[in-house]
Amino acid sequence: MIITKKMVAALAITGSLIFAPALADTVKIGMNVPLTGFAAADGKSALLGAELAMEQANAEGGINGSKIELVRYDDQASPKQSVPIANKLIGQDEVNIAISGSYSGATRAAAGVFQSEGVPYISAFAVHPDITKSGDYVFRTSFVGEVQGRAGAKLIGDTLGKKKVVVITLKNDFGQSLAAGFKSKAADFGIDILNEYEYSIKDRQFGPIVTKVKSDDPDAIYASGYFFTAGPLVSQLRAAGIEVPVIGQEGYDSEKFIEIAGPSSEGILITTSLDRDSSVAVTKDFITAFEAKAGYKADMVAASGHTAIKVAVEAMRKAGTTDRQAIRDAIAATSLVTSTGEISFNGLGEVKKDVQVQVVKDGAWHHYTVINDKELLAPPVE
Amino acid sequence: MLYVELLAQGLVQGSIYALVAVGLTLVYGLLRILHVAHAGLFTLGGYIGVLVTNATGSLFLALIVSMMVVGVLGMAIYRLCYQPILDKPPYVALIASIGLFIAMEEIYRIVFGPYGISYQNPPLQSSVEILGLSLRMGEVAVGGGTLVLIGALALFSTKTRFGTVWRATVTDPDMAESFGVDIIKVRYLNFFIGSALAAVAGVMVALLNNLVEPTMGSVPSYKALAIIVLGGLGDVRGTLLAALALGVIEAFGTIYLGNYLDRDAIAFAFLILVLMVRPQGLFGRA
Amino acid sequence: MLGLSGYEISLITSMGIAVIFALSLNLITGFCGQISLGHAAFYGIGAYSSAMLTKAGMPLAMGMIGAVVLAGAIGIVVGFASLRVRHDFLAITTMGVGFLFLGVMRQWDFVGGEMGVSGIPGSGLGKPGFMILVLGLVVVTVLFSLHLKRSWMGFSFDAIADDEDTARVIGLDVSRYKLAAFAMGTALAGLAGALYAHNVRFIDPESFGFVESITVLAMVVIGGIGSVFGVIFAAAVLSVLPLWIQFIDEYKLLLYGGLLFAMMRFSPGGLAGIAQKLSSRKAVKVPGGGSA
Repeated sequence: MIITKKMVAALAITGSLIFAPALADTVKIGMNVPLTGFAAADGKSALLGAELAMEQANAEGGINGSKIELVRYDDQASPKQSVPIANKLIGQDEVNIAISGSYSGATRAAAGVFQSEGVPYISAFAVHPDITKSGDYVFRTSFVGEVQGRAGAKLIGDTLGKKKVVVITLKNDFGQSLAAGFKSKAADFGIDILNEYEYSIKDRQFGPIVTKVKSDDPDAIYASGYFFTAGPLVSQLRAAGIEVPVIGQEGYDSEKFIEIAGPSSEGILITTSLDRDSSVAVTKDFITAFEAKAGYKADMVAASGHTAIKVAVEAMRKAGTTDRQAIRDAIAATSLVTSTGEISFNGLGEVKKDVQVQVVKDGAWHHYTVINDKELLAPPVE
Repeated sequence: MLYVELLAQGLVQGSIYALVAVGLTLVYGLLRILHVAHAGLFTLGGYIGVLVTNATGSLFLALIVSMMVVGVLGMAIYRLCYQPILDKPPYVALIASIGLFIAMEEIYRIVFGPYGISYQNPPLQSSVEILGLSLRMGEVAVGGGTLVLIGALALFSTKTRFGTVWRATVTDPDMAESFGVDIIKVRYLNFFIGSALAAVAGVMVALLNNLVEPTMGSVPSYKALAIIVLGGLGDVRGTLLAALALGVIEAFGTIYLGNYLDRDAIAFAFLILVLMVRPQGLFGRA
Repeated sequence: MLGLSGYEISLITSMGIAVIFALSLNLITGFCGQISLGHAAFYGIGAYSSAMLTKAGMPLAMGMIGAVVLAGAIGIVVGFASLRVRHDFLAITTMGVGFLFLGVMRQWDFVGGEMGVSGIPGSGLGKPGFMILVLGLVVVTVLFSLHLKRSWMGFSFDAIADDEDTARVIGLDVSRYKLAAFAMGTALAGLAGALYAHNVRFIDPESFGFVESITVLAMVVIGGIGSVFGVIFAAAVLSVLPLWIQFIDEYKLLLYGGLLFAMMRFSPGGLAGIAQKLSSRKAVKVPGGGSA
């Protein structure tokens, strides 16, 4: 038994020396995504977005004639689960490329495995700065937190011209890196940070912070968070009579935010990567097709899952083989219009794209402006 | 003025803690069980509150329905889950309760969806000025509601015959039984009242946040445990004081200690400190 | 390697680490009867210690020793708390210790704060080599547990677990034994944490939270509190259960919670209890059969 296994392996190796590995009938793309536990809501959107991208690609003829199959496992957004899953995707399912539809911890841990096995890995929306530092096989199609933080500083200090700002920071890697980016550029745009408050991802009641912010009397509030923290936060700020602009980020980017905050959500600005009023065909298609598939409106996470798969598919089409090195090189050379804009990667595997500013108007997300200052938005290179 | 406002915010938060924790401490007093799944009932209270309000437009009706359904479910949990294992070591009920809580959270996620639900027209959102303090109507309702409910509970337990029996049983179940108290009836009543109060807390929190999520109970699940320990397990008055104290400490801590410790850690640092000095809890009798 | 795929190796490694972790809690909760709801804190202390030491250029062995010593030392401090408060109060106190650990780790920038620690050096033994190291340590831990159970100390633990006051009356130095149980249990958790850190190579505070403490307690309780083999079996199965039952995706955690509940409701002795019942029933049915 062992001998036959070895012989097959030997044959396979000899074979691969002679022929470049051709594409089989189906091509597998791996995905780790939280479907249970606290991150299940985002996981569901990311998965539906990814599935949509796969269906669209298959309808266009797959990858040079081969059908695409998405192999996904639930990682509960836990690094403990994502490491064996990465090994399973590589060892058992033999995928030649994978994406992460999960949070930072799980993605960071899995990235190390994919890197050491030389399998390209694309993070759809995890923000931890160290993810791409795992090595040259790891890419990210969403903004690193710092970039969005810098964009936020420009939006507040330059576009809105507000100078006295209070920062409310979500205490996790997402909030921390946003705050770091914001603070690094705040002075450049003449922003004076009056105070900074931190809250935990489990908090939904912000009474004490709201009370203190009121006495700080700022011109604007830069608040990081996700729709489920930001919704209550914004409505509590407004209920306390604080009417100054509140600037958020892609974590707010969901219909659910508007539902939770209700009328308080009117006028809230966010930096994100999905433009609801886009005239670009890919984005428009995505927005309508996603709502038809999911039964609810597209959000940033869904668009991110969609984008990551699209990048993976495009790279495999260009590479034309299942050779992992060739696929990696094709990803690195990506220049593609996706549902989250026109993207390419820098040397570290960080995405380069414009930051979309969206505003809540009449109970829906709409285009406000675009920040496309290449220098300001340059992702870290090391 | 800032301090007064922070104090008010702390008391609002403390009222919520109190409503959740009273049920827990009653259960502990009677059965010596750390009833973690109580926080699952709190979440269900929130869900029913939002669903009924959205369907009928009446918050009051929602509150009543929520209290009834959750109260009865609380009794069912006692009968089906705890009664058969009362004679086992305490960790058995504790772990069973944790398992039940995890399962409940997952059921909510599967039935109501992972995103959580909100009031379509959130009631009590306007704000009022009371003694120069600007508060949301929702916050006033939380404070006032808690006062009324706890007051009613105090009246019931001191002025009625059944209440006296109940109080005696919570204080010393064995003694009460030897006096011929129908201890099973007392336990059902106990679970009904405790669970109904948790349901009220759930509806209130849904009102303040306009969001009910499957995991809404996870923070109360452990924080309420800390509170009843501080209050001296089984002691209702101590639990109320501990809940309010913790609410206020957290309110100030979030602002002035937030850069050193997060909210949970502040609560538990306080807990450990107190227990090391007074092992029977802040208000517990030695 | 050894006819095992990379996936199987990583599964066995995870199982082995879970077994050491669960047995470490079994020393405290199973043998000595002290409930802990914050055991993941010591797992975390071990993971952070070894990660920081090896990142500073120390060899793996030093990292592991550092993890054991630091976790054990802090464990003794918490052990002192167990002398002060008892039973349910202790359970809540240890839970508090767990949250305090998280709160501190989130704030300390030199251990990465919320961002955690990335780029933790691997074991340098390769995946199969690391698996063998873990399995070797599992064997040592199991032998140590079995030996301890049969030693004088094990009997003393048993007496304390049964009834602390009686144990004191018959002249046992209860405080010393409790401290010993905490020291050994937490040091071993530190070892498991160090192995975890070098296996996953990324740690953040959230990985050592309340859920993790509950998970490990579930392993001990489902296996059968105090039963070495029951705990080994439960830890091995429960640690990979979420991966095995992927096919029921949506209902996984529901099943997990339900299992925990059902086990306590219907067989509080855990798997070991069930096994014992089955074998003793057999013993009764078969005439002339030896008793269990």
